[in-house]
Amino acid sequence: MKPENAIEVKDVTKSFKVYLDKGRTLKELALFSKRRKSTNRVVLDGISFDVEIGEAVALIGHNGCGKSTTLKLLTKIMYPDSGTIEMRGRVSSLIELGAGFHPDMSGRENIYINASIFGLTKKEIDDRLDDIINFSELWDFIDNPVRTYSSGMYMRLAFAIAINVNADILLIDEILAVGDANFQAKCYGRMQELKRSGVTIVLVTHDMNTVKSFCSKAIWINKGKIVTQGKSSDVVDTYLAYMNNQRILAINEERRRQMELAGLPADGVKKNDPAERKDPVTMDPTAKHFGNQKAVIRSCELLNHELKPVDALYPEEKFYLRFDYQINEPMDELIFGMGIYTLDGLWIFGTNTRLCDVKVNTKGKTEGTVYFESNPLWLMGGEYILQCSIIEADTTPCDYYNEYMKITVVKRWNEAGIIHYETKWYEQ
Amino acid sequence: MKIINELYAYREMIRSLVHRDLRGRYKGSVLGFAWTFINPLLQLMVYTMVFSIILRNGIKDFYLFLFVALVPWIFFSSCVSAGAGCIRAQGDMLKKIYFPREVIPVSFVTSQFVNMCLSMIVVLAVLLIAGYPIRFEALVWMPLVMIIEYFVALGSALLVSSVTVYWRDVEYFMGIIVMAWQFATPVMYGLENVPEKLVPLFRLNPMTPIIVAYRDILYYGRVPQLETLISAVIFGIVILFVGYQTFSRLKVHFAEEL
Repeated sequence: MKPENAIEVKDVTKSFKVYLDKGRTLKELALFSKRRKSTNRVVLDGISFDVEIGEAVALIGHNGCGKSTTLKLLTKIMYPDSGTIEMRGRVSSLIELGAGFHPDMSGRENIYINASIFGLTKKEIDDRLDDIINFSELWDFIDNPVRTYSSGMYMRLAFAIAINVNADILLIDEILAVGDANFQAKCYGRMQELKRSGVTIVLVTHDMNTVKSFCSKAIWINKGKIVTQGKSSDVVDTYLAYMNNQRILAINEERRRQMELAGLPADGVKKNDPAERKDPVTMDPTAKHFGNQKAVIRSCELLNHELKPVDALYPEEKFYLRFDYQINEPMDELIFGMGIYTLDGLWIFGTNTRLCDVKVNTKGKTEGTVYFESNPLWLMGGEYILQCSIIEADTTPCDYYNEYMKITVVKRWNEAGIIHYETKWYEQ
Repeated sequence: MKIINELYAYREMIRSLVHRDLRGRYKGSVLGFAWTFINPLLQLMVYTMVFSIILRNGIKDFYLFLFVALVPWIFFSSCVSAGAGCIRAQGDMLKKIYFPREVIPVSFVTSQFVNMCLSMIVVLAVLLIAGYPIRFEALVWMPLVMIIEYFVALGSALLVSSVTVYWRDVEYFMGIIVMAWQFATPVMYGLENVPEKLVPLFRLNPMTPIIVAYRDILYYGRVPQLETLISAVIFGIVILFVGYQTFSRLKVHFAEEL
C-alpha cells in the first residue's frame, strides 16, 4: 500500500448467482434439477481505484450499477471473488441506521447496543454519550423506550450514534435524507467537520449537488465497470449528460410503445429524417380538441434545432413546431397558435400568427405546412403541456387542442422555479 | 488467534447483545427479570409433583436427580435448536454492518449460559433446602464442567447456525434431533440404568460425560471421575474445532445467502 492511500482496490470482481427458479427443497433438488437454472450475474467486473487519506469520494451510477456492492465489499460484509481490497485504519459504515435497536429499551440503553455493534468499547461509548444525546436533541426522551419515539426521533438517535463513531474511514450509503431540514443541515455540517478532521469518506448517493459540493473526487460505475473517475464536478457533468441521453431514449421508447398499443404505426414516430415520414403521427390519440373542423390540424410535430422530431427538448437549444393542416372548407386566411403550460396549468407562454403580424394565406389550398420557430426555452427540467390551435380570421376556433401533447424538458440546472436565467453569486 | 483478538475488540457488542437478550426477554412483563428465577422454580415444582406423586420410581428424590441434569441439558438443547436460527434472525444486521460474524453465536450461547447460571442458583438453593450437603471439594469442579459445556454448546451452535443459513431445514430438523438426543443422554436416568452392552455407545455421546459430571457434583456430592472429565474435554475441543472451521468456511457468503 502506498503511504498516502487509505483504500486500495485492485481488480475486484464480484458476481452473484441468480436463480431463475430457486428450488432449495429436497423435492425440488431431486426432481427439477433442470429448472434450477442459475445465471451468474456479474456485478463488479474488474474495479480498481485508490482513495487517499482524508479524501471524500463519491460513488455514482444508476440503480443496480454495482456501487452499493462496492461499498459492501469495502465494509467486509461481502468478499470479492477475485482482486484485493486493502484499507488502512478503523472503518465505520453508515449503511444501516439503528441496527440492533430494541424497542422496549430506553434510548440510552440502545445507544450502548447500537454503538457496540459499530465496535466501540464501553469506555468509548461513555465518552461519547453526551455528544450523541446532544446531537440527537432527545434530551427529555433519552430514558423513554424507543418504541415511544416518532420515526423522526428514531432516525435522529440512530444517525447521532452512527456519526459519532470515530473512524478513520467512513462509508456512507444514501442515508442523509434523515429528519427535518434543520437536522439534515446539522448532519451535513457534521460530515464537513469529519472531513476537515481528516476522515476518509466514501459516499454512495444520487444527489449530485452533494457530490459536487462535498466530494473532491467521484467514481462513476456503470454495469460493474468504472466509466470514469476524477474531479467530482467533471465526472458528475459527464454522468448527467449520459443520463439525460438515456432518459430521452427511454421516453422515445415509451412513446413508441404507447403508439403501438394504440394501434398506430409505430415506426413513423421516430425516424431521424422527417422527410421520410409519410404519415406523421406525433399526435396524442387521446388529446381532446374542439372547433368547427373547417380546417384541422393533422399533426403538430416537435422538432429540435436540427429539425429532427423529438419528444424531449434541451432547454438551451432552439426548437420548431411543424403544423400539418388540412382545409375542409375553402378559406382565405387562418391563424395558427401555440402555447406552453406547466402541468398544473400555469400559462408560461403563448403566441399566434396574428399577434406576430404574420398572415397565412390559404386561398385555394386544401392542405399545407406551417413552421413555428422558437429560440431556446430556458425552462427548468420537467414536463410541460403544449397547446396548439387553428383559428379562423374572425377568431372562431377551427381546431383547438388545449393539451396537444406533453413535452419533456431535460433537466440542465439545479436552481428552483420554472425558468432559468444566467445568475452568479459573489462573496465580498 | 486473530478471531480471539477480534472478538475481544467487539466484547462490548457481545456484552450488550447478551444484556439486550436477557433484559429484553421479559421486558413488559409484570414480574420482569424475576422470571429468570421463577421459570426454573415452577418447572421444578411440576417435576416434583409428577415424579413424587404419580410416576414414582426407585431413585431417591428423583425430581432432584432429574433437575440437576435437566438444567444443563436445557442450556445445551436451546443452543442447538434455537441457536440454529440465530444467524438468520440477525440477517438484516449481518447484511448491513460489518462485525465478526462469530459475535452472534457467541452472544447467543453466552446469554443462554448466563440463564443457566441463574437457574443453577435456584438448583443450589433447592438442594440446600432439601438437606443435601454441598461439598466444597466437589463444587470446585463445577466451573470447569460448566466451561466445558459452554464450549461444546458454542461449537455446536457455530456448526448448526452457519449450516442453517444455507439449508433452513436444519433448524427444524434440530428440534427433533435434540428431543431424541435427550433420551440418548442420561438425563432422565443414570448411566448405571443403561444395559451393559450399550454403555460404549453412550460414551460416544459428547453430552454424556458432562451430564454425568453435573450429577456427580450436585446430586451425589462427589468429585467427578477423571475419566469423565478427560472425555468431556476431548469432546469439547473436537466439537469447537469442527464448529469453528465450518463456520469460518461458510460465513464468507452469509450476506449473499440471507
